[in-house]
Amino acid sequence: MTAPVVESSKPERRSVLNWFLGAGILGWAVSVLYPVLRYLRPLSETGAGAPLKLTADEMATLGKSHFVIARAGTRKVIVFEAAGELRALDAKCTHEGCTVQFVPGDSLLWCACHNGKFDLDGRVLSGPPPRPLTKWVATREGNDVVLAMEKA
Amino acid sequence: MRGLLPVLLLLGQAAPAPAPEDGKLPKSVEALFQEKDKDGKLILGDTDRAYLKKLPPHTLDLIAKDAEALTLGGARHLKVILTLDLSSQAAAIVFSDNCILCHVDPESQKKIHLFSADPKASQSNELLNLKSFLSDVHFRRGLSCAGCHGGSPEKDVMTSDIAARWPKADVRHSDRTWIPEFCARCHADPSFMRGFNPSLPTDQLSKYKESRHGVLLLQEKDSKAAQCVSCHGVHGIRGPKSRQSKVHPQAIPETCGHCHADAAYMAGYKKDDGTPLPTNQLEQFKQSVHGKALLEKGDLGAPACNSCHGNHAAMPPKVSAVSQVCRTCHSQNGTFFDGSKHKQVFEEHHWPECEKCHGKHDIAKATDMLISDAPDGLCGSCHAQNAKDNPECNATARYFRSTLLGLAATRQTLRPEAEDLAERGLDADPVLASIEELSEAIVQTRSRVHTFDRGGFDQGAKLGREAAAKTETLVSAARNEQHYRRNGLLVSIGLMSFLAVVMGLKIRELGRRRRAERDRRSP
Amino acid sequence: MTGAPHTEASPPVGDRLYRWLDARFGVGKLVQWAEHKEVPVGGHSMVWYYLGGTTLFFFTVQLVSGVLLLMYYQAGEATSYESIRFITTKVPFGWLVRSIHCWSAHLMILSLVVHMFSTLILKAYRKPRELTWLTGFFLFAIALGFGFSGYLLPWNELSFFATAVGTDSVKSVPVVGQWLLEVMRGGPDVTINTLYRFFALHVVILPLVMVGVLAGHLIFIQVQGMASGMAHQRPDRPGLRFFPDFLVRDLLLWLVCLIVLAVLVYLLPYGPGIPGVEWELGRKANPLAPAYPGIKPEWYFLWVYQLLKEFPPHLFGMEGPQAALLVVTVLMGIWALVPWLDRRASKGQPSPMFTDLAIAAIIFMAYLTLKAWDIGGKGAPGKLPDPRSTAWTCAWITLGLASAIAVLRLLAYRQRWMFLSGAALLQVVLNGVFGVDYLIAGAIAVAFAIGGVVLSSRQTPRQLEVPR
Repeated sequence: MTAPVVESSKPERRSVLNWFLGAGILGWAVSVLYPVLRYLRPLSETGAGAPLKLTADEMATLGKSHFVIARAGTRKVIVFEAAGELRALDAKCTHEGCTVQFVPGDSLLWCACHNGKFDLDGRVLSGPPPRPLTKWVATREGNDVVLAMEKA
Repeated sequence: MRGLLPVLLLLGQAAPAPAPEDGKLPKSVEALFQEKDKDGKLILGDTDRAYLKKLPPHTLDLIAKDAEALTLGGARHLKVILTLDLSSQAAAIVFSDNCILCHVDPESQKKIHLFSADPKASQSNELLNLKSFLSDVHFRRGLSCAGCHGGSPEKDVMTSDIAARWPKADVRHSDRTWIPEFCARCHADPSFMRGFNPSLPTDQLSKYKESRHGVLLLQEKDSKAAQCVSCHGVHGIRGPKSRQSKVHPQAIPETCGHCHADAAYMAGYKKDDGTPLPTNQLEQFKQSVHGKALLEKGDLGAPACNSCHGNHAAMPPKVSAVSQVCRTCHSQNGTFFDGSKHKQVFEEHHWPECEKCHGKHDIAKATDMLISDAPDGLCGSCHAQNAKDNPECNATARYFRSTLLGLAATRQTLRPEAEDLAERGLDADPVLASIEELSEAIVQTRSRVHTFDRGGFDQGAKLGREAAAKTETLVSAARNEQHYRRNGLLVSIGLMSFLAVVMGLKIRELGRRRRAERDRRSP
Repeated sequence: MTGAPHTEASPPVGDRLYRWLDARFGVGKLVQWAEHKEVPVGGHSMVWYYLGGTTLFFFTVQLVSGVLLLMYYQAGEATSYESIRFITTKVPFGWLVRSIHCWSAHLMILSLVVHMFSTLILKAYRKPRELTWLTGFFLFAIALGFGFSGYLLPWNELSFFATAVGTDSVKSVPVVGQWLLEVMRGGPDVTINTLYRFFALHVVILPLVMVGVLAGHLIFIQVQGMASGMAHQRPDRPGLRFFPDFLVRDLLLWLVCLIVLAVLVYLLPYGPGIPGVEWELGRKANPLAPAYPGIKPEWYFLWVYQLLKEFPPHLFGMEGPQAALLVVTVLMGIWALVPWLDRRASKGQPSPMFTDLAIAAIIFMAYLTLKAWDIGGKGAPGKLPDPRSTAWTCAWITLGLASAIAVLRLLAYRQRWMFLSGAALLQVVLNGVFGVDYLIAGAIAVAFAIGGVVLSSRQTPRQLEVPR
């Protein structure tokens, strides 16, 4: 009868290894599942296709001064009330890029940098600006104001 | 009757000759195609034939008549006109105007009276450039040679009619004083000009008479002074909106500089205080921020000479008026200045407000370094003399400068941070938007320097500091996100590497088991 | 006597489950087969057996990350670009998912290409595995289709123009060219309609086709077992057990790939910055804007793109692009039919010509790809790169690469049959170093290749050096 080849430590070593393997697999699973689950959790803000709305601060300013310079992505839009209706134009002056202001008394938009003046449709009235301001569309929806670029 | 219109010319034609049959050119024209030059080559060729065939019948008739009447002197003459490649309408006008026809004929005109397409090449009179004449604004509106010079274009010889309008040679050659009145015959007559361009002003002559050029020419009989032709040209006049016009905003500096930058020409002219008139204005202007904007960037909103000096009433603006001129564009800075303590001081000293600090022709881009309370700096040198017992003035200057430099430096460090964040895949848009706000605040703050008052200045500086702080907050938030990502990565790599190591050990263990199995099977 | 006493307590859960399934589905047979599945050992490095698995791994990563992206992506004129911007900026770990998807796409194709070349060189395609090669070829084409269709989905400037240029060549297909172009683009020009079609292709059509063809490919491998090296290469050794030995090693490699992927995503979120391997979002596509110069398709298409540029406007009565497309079709046809063309390998005989074909293909595509990158062209903003200068530099680089390969083959593997790779190199040298027109150089090279093939076929097989 052959002597039994027994290495008594082997089974224990194997089970320790298996235990580590299980722990390792668990660790791997956590590092993969954690980002995935966070990714899938629904967000408080709506996705990309959501319409551009004025923030609460911007709405407050609009209510107080009857115009506001709002952010739309990387662009700035000036939203103002004229003759009871809400209008919006690109706020970047077409001359050197300064932000224009609304001058309700003269019914125009004024750029302080070089005294450029635009009418309420964005057309150049006087001064160095070479092109009119791009038009945007501002519509009231309930308590919000929604901004969109004017369709070509 | 002034202003002969081409309609009259065309109506004055006799009944047209019978139309050519089967695409052939009229006989008189065909005959020209036989002419050879002194080298024996035919002067007119197939392209000329093709061009003539494309013309409408009535125009071809005109040419045939001209050839018969010998107002079209020969093939060389016709060739000159054909090389212009005129439209059929322009061709009709040219071939019915005998003034043009005669004066274009290289064989019958003296060089001094010859209109040619390339005066340099034909060594003829530079003022008589046929190509530019055909785009001349008067010609295009129907005012041809006879309109200014008089005479009748349908006659084939010059008559004494011309003397009725065109001054005699001795008058013309004595000096230039006759020119302004000559042009003003039409241009100062509102009812006449209304028939052509109702919105064109008609006050140029009266303005000119008050200008320095007008005074020199009309009162002191100095023919070196500029008159209508010096700036507008004569046979190639175009409106200021055309880029080819001598009075287009981008061409005006060179037009004025033609005399005013020529030291030899301007020698002898003096300013009111007796010092010689400088001739470096054009050079200075070209280096200035306005010159660069107008001439290099093409910004037509930037001022040319006439924006500050006026067109026909050209005079240097008086000291008191300079700043009013600057205010037409820089109104906000003007308003700030008016409310500042400098206003009174400048008025007392009769200093030309804006010009005192910024210059006039050599206005450089105003940088923060301009504000300097050093003894030789802009603020310091003046304060040393005029605000000796008021250290507050220099202190304010220092404050302005350090605040502005601080804001600019902050922006300088934050911009590359934003770019770095974008490269690392973080959302840099809010940071860039905030930096833009900072830039705008800096512009506002710089403008508010003109209040020369800490309170007024701080209204802008406050916005700047807020924007800078906001940007820094956003940047550090983004950096935190970056570290979060890096740490997360390290953690997950750590966990996965641990698993990898354990798997490696498992593989080794498996290998040992296999070997043991194999050994058992084949001892 | 056996060992320790066997208690009659209830058997372990695993056992019970196994017996339950076996009674119903006969899983015992499956387990038996699995226990005997082996991977051949010896003859060549085991490394090559793992590449199919890594390709499959990266494809799985694409599936998972793609599905995740699909949760937030919205195809549309006003939403494609914006939704991807939203994912990368606002969605937690959105940047991670998108970057993984882009990196893994390139790594998958890289792995696929190496897998393809290794099976070619090791002649795993020989009888009875011809269909495995053919399905693999289709998988390659599908993967390229995935890459091309997915590239447009961000609807940014880069992808818009790359798609316009890429789809343009389709109109050179005879007879149906124009129709094919309009069906692909959803109209005569690239518009949002093109994106809708590409989206359907990328997300539904190609995945279904891929899974089908992949199933075929994998079934063939399971049924036939993995290919072993050529007989003369393979010593007699027992193989490596697939379950669990090879599988564990496979999984470990996949884990390492995942770690590498994670590191790449962190360090280079928008790619390594090589033209044709970058995916910064950039600006939204503007169909009315002129294309910007230097636009390049993705790296795996560069050789075709460059080849198209080498053809003159008209050639032998055909339009240049048509002729180029014909050449590409012929080359692809040869590639797909290699198992049937290589009769020697199918008989188990040494087939150095086809080994050399693989090297020739590498040289051919490398030179064109390098040229497409304008390497050595001394281009600058506002200055177009000089094609002569580019060709010169790329030729020398290719020559260096080819020489290194040749030396390796000669010394390590004692391979001496080099007529095809020599022909490819001849074309490179003639065109790049001596300035000969690319197509004329190609014609000369083809003549050289034919000569070499005819010459070597006259020699008996024994005269050919047997590679190790």
